[in-house]
Amino acid sequence: MIELGSLALQLALLTAIYGIVVVLVGAARQRSEMVRSGRHAAYAVHGLVVLAAVALWRALLTHDFSLEYVASYASSTLALPYTIAAFWGGQAGSLLFWVLILMTMSSIAHLQNRERNAALMPYVTATLLVIAAFFLSLLVFITDPFERLPVPAIEGADLNPLLQNYWMMIHPPSLYLGFVGCAIPFAFAMAALASGRLSDVWIRTTRRWTLFAWFFLTVGNVLGARWAYEELGWGGYWAWDPVENAAIMPWFTCTAFLHSVMIQEKKNMLKMWNMVLVLLTFTLTIFGTFLTRSGIVSSVHSFTQSGLGPFFVGFLVMVIVTCIALIAWRRPLLRSENDIDSFLSREGAFLFNNLLLVGLAFATFWGTIFPVLSEAVRGIKITVGPPFFNKVNAPLGLALLFMTGVGPVIAWRRASARNLRRSFLWPLTLGFATGVVIFALGYRHYYAVVCFSLATFVLTTIAMEFYRGTRARQSLMHESPAMALANLVGKNRRRYGGYVVHIGIVMIAVGMAASSAFRVEVQETIERGQSFEAGPYTLTYTDLKNTDSPHVASMLAEVQVTRNGRPVTTLYPEKRFYKRQQQPTTEVALRSTLLDDLYVVLGNYDAESGLVTLLVFVSPLVAWLWIGALVMALGTVIVMSPTAAEQRVLAAALAVEERGLEGAARVVR
Amino acid sequence: MKGPSQTEIEESLTCQCGCGLTVHSCNHLQCPSAIPLKGEIAEHLAAGQTRAEILTGFSSTYGEKILSAPTMTGFNVVAWVMPFLAVFVATVAVVAFVVRWRTRAVPASATPPVEDDVPTAERRARLQAELDRFDG
Repeated sequence: MIELGSLALQLALLTAIYGIVVVLVGAARQRSEMVRSGRHAAYAVHGLVVLAAVALWRALLTHDFSLEYVASYASSTLALPYTIAAFWGGQAGSLLFWVLILMTMSSIAHLQNRERNAALMPYVTATLLVIAAFFLSLLVFITDPFERLPVPAIEGADLNPLLQNYWMMIHPPSLYLGFVGCAIPFAFAMAALASGRLSDVWIRTTRRWTLFAWFFLTVGNVLGARWAYEELGWGGYWAWDPVENAAIMPWFTCTAFLHSVMIQEKKNMLKMWNMVLVLLTFTLTIFGTFLTRSGIVSSVHSFTQSGLGPFFVGFLVMVIVTCIALIAWRRPLLRSENDIDSFLSREGAFLFNNLLLVGLAFATFWGTIFPVLSEAVRGIKITVGPPFFNKVNAPLGLALLFMTGVGPVIAWRRASARNLRRSFLWPLTLGFATGVVIFALGYRHYYAVVCFSLATFVLTTIAMEFYRGTRARQSLMHESPAMALANLVGKNRRRYGGYVVHIGIVMIAVGMAASSAFRVEVQETIERGQSFEAGPYTLTYTDLKNTDSPHVASMLAEVQVTRNGRPVTTLYPEKRFYKRQQQPTTEVALRSTLLDDLYVVLGNYDAESGLVTLLVFVSPLVAWLWIGALVMALGTVIVMSPTAAEQRVLAAALAVEERGLEGAARVVR
Repeated sequence: MKGPSQTEIEESLTCQCGCGLTVHSCNHLQCPSAIPLKGEIAEHLAAGQTRAEILTGFSSTYGEKILSAPTMTGFNVVAWVMPFLAVFVATVAVVAFVVRWRTRAVPASATPPVEDDVPTAERRARLQAELDRFDG
């Protein structure tokens, strides 16, 4: 099976190269059989990659320690879920996972477009196969997942204990789905540039793909934050680590793209800008993978560093140069067909929203690479850590939160004084009042106060939109309030689903502001029976227990928690010792409510005397961060769900495109 | 004048154990780097040193990489200025483009403001028709 997996990868690479050549020649010469053969090559690559993936999973599950990869990232005592997750726990496996997801998406995209987008599809096939060929080259020539050890190992080294966490079962796949999902809109954008078909058809065709990628980028980032919160034991969830930055940068640009495509669809503007955004997003996903793999910047997340950096740099340069050349070539076709009437308009608001999002991506990129730049210029490597990112990104983030309230409700073209008054008078008044009340209550963390004010402003604009829409339906359609609300959302899912996403964003902003500004930290070294205060809680350490298994030994402190004299819960912060990797980890004990999280870490202990050091954090409103993410996910699902009206618009756009392309269509069919 | 707090200084320094976090946030409670550094900070604060004096002292002892953010001097200023400069330049560029569009196109004053929220009878009728069409 191992040999079969290795052979499958080699054949996949050859098939991908064949597919690229045949589909491009077929498109240039309008030879339908060649284009069709290229498409079949993409399906074949998918099949071969699936075969290789099955071979690697089988080796992991059967503990085949003759394989270097299995011996490095698994062990006979590793739990089944983590043995499955070990597939993406190491470098070669994670790259194979990348290609597996890419080719699965490629097959779905090809099946969806069998009978449409005839002029685009050959170039879509070629682009996806080029990306696949790059990753397959790395797997075949540089980092082979099927490499045998000279002498089979008796036992595996085990998966990194930090990765033995249930969030790690779903965080990397989510992020990968997001990263790789960006390849589909990118491939269609490249195809639109190559074929010169630069209407909004490629955008409408890939809208759901973009949302899909954005959804998983969002989920992946939040799950990563949750993993850091539970596993790293420092009370926080985001440290602006280079690899975290690599994951958030494409999210910023993808979010900008999702907003600016609305301007193109509605006003036929920003064609070039949208092209730049989709290309930038894809480039940033590759840059993110490069950061994780290259070790160019130090990161706690770089579990699998290697010498792959130069290959990624080469690929990145090739992608960027090709994109710039294609955009320059098609510049005349990318001109806007309409003009903006006023900055006080939805178009203007979306433009500034885009500026802020790209500004956030740039600020994050800049801070991430500045240590490398500093070393190149001054010969001194410096650190750019959380204080830098918090200071630079916080004002940009707050400005973006403000635009979250403005963009969706300001009028298209040019807002009148009446529109502005009607849309913003109450939200601004309530937002300002919130700030004043919080300030009067004695809270002096200015960023947090501004954030709460803006949150009220945004939520009020959204609430007014729902209220007015529901009232309009009640009045015109004579529906009950619940029915009117359901129909309002159901019949305009894109708009109201978007509002739901914005509500989630506000929840996350509030959770982040409150938990970082008003967090209480206490560290105490105590004996059995002793108590101490942490915020509103009293913690009493009552016992120290140990457990043991062949895989992990663990020490747990029993901590009774009371509030105002009433028992609240019993927590068991834990220190684990993973025997194979000889590595200790911290298992946080957490009590989460909508108001605050009580987060207890067992720092140090003396088993004989029973003395323990406990580190305790009380973080207000942090649960809203996770709830906000769920609300965002719900909103995205609403936005993604198809409507008949939307299908009609896409069909009409395709019909217009296809009428001018009958020749090309005949080539493919 | 109020002196710097222990937490403030701990947040300004990067732990050298490889955790990638600040001295304050380091998740290793028995950290061989964070614990001595916290002790040193306490000594400097007890000696009445200012924030700048303490950070300069750490920088000269351990190298600039111990600071958790770039200083506001020399080449490091570029790190702080560039993000805001980029957003500012991009904003100016967008404004310039839009002004150019507007002067090239119909004068803005000729475009009536959008009164999309005026509930006139005509608008209500149109809305009703649109809703009927979607519902159908």
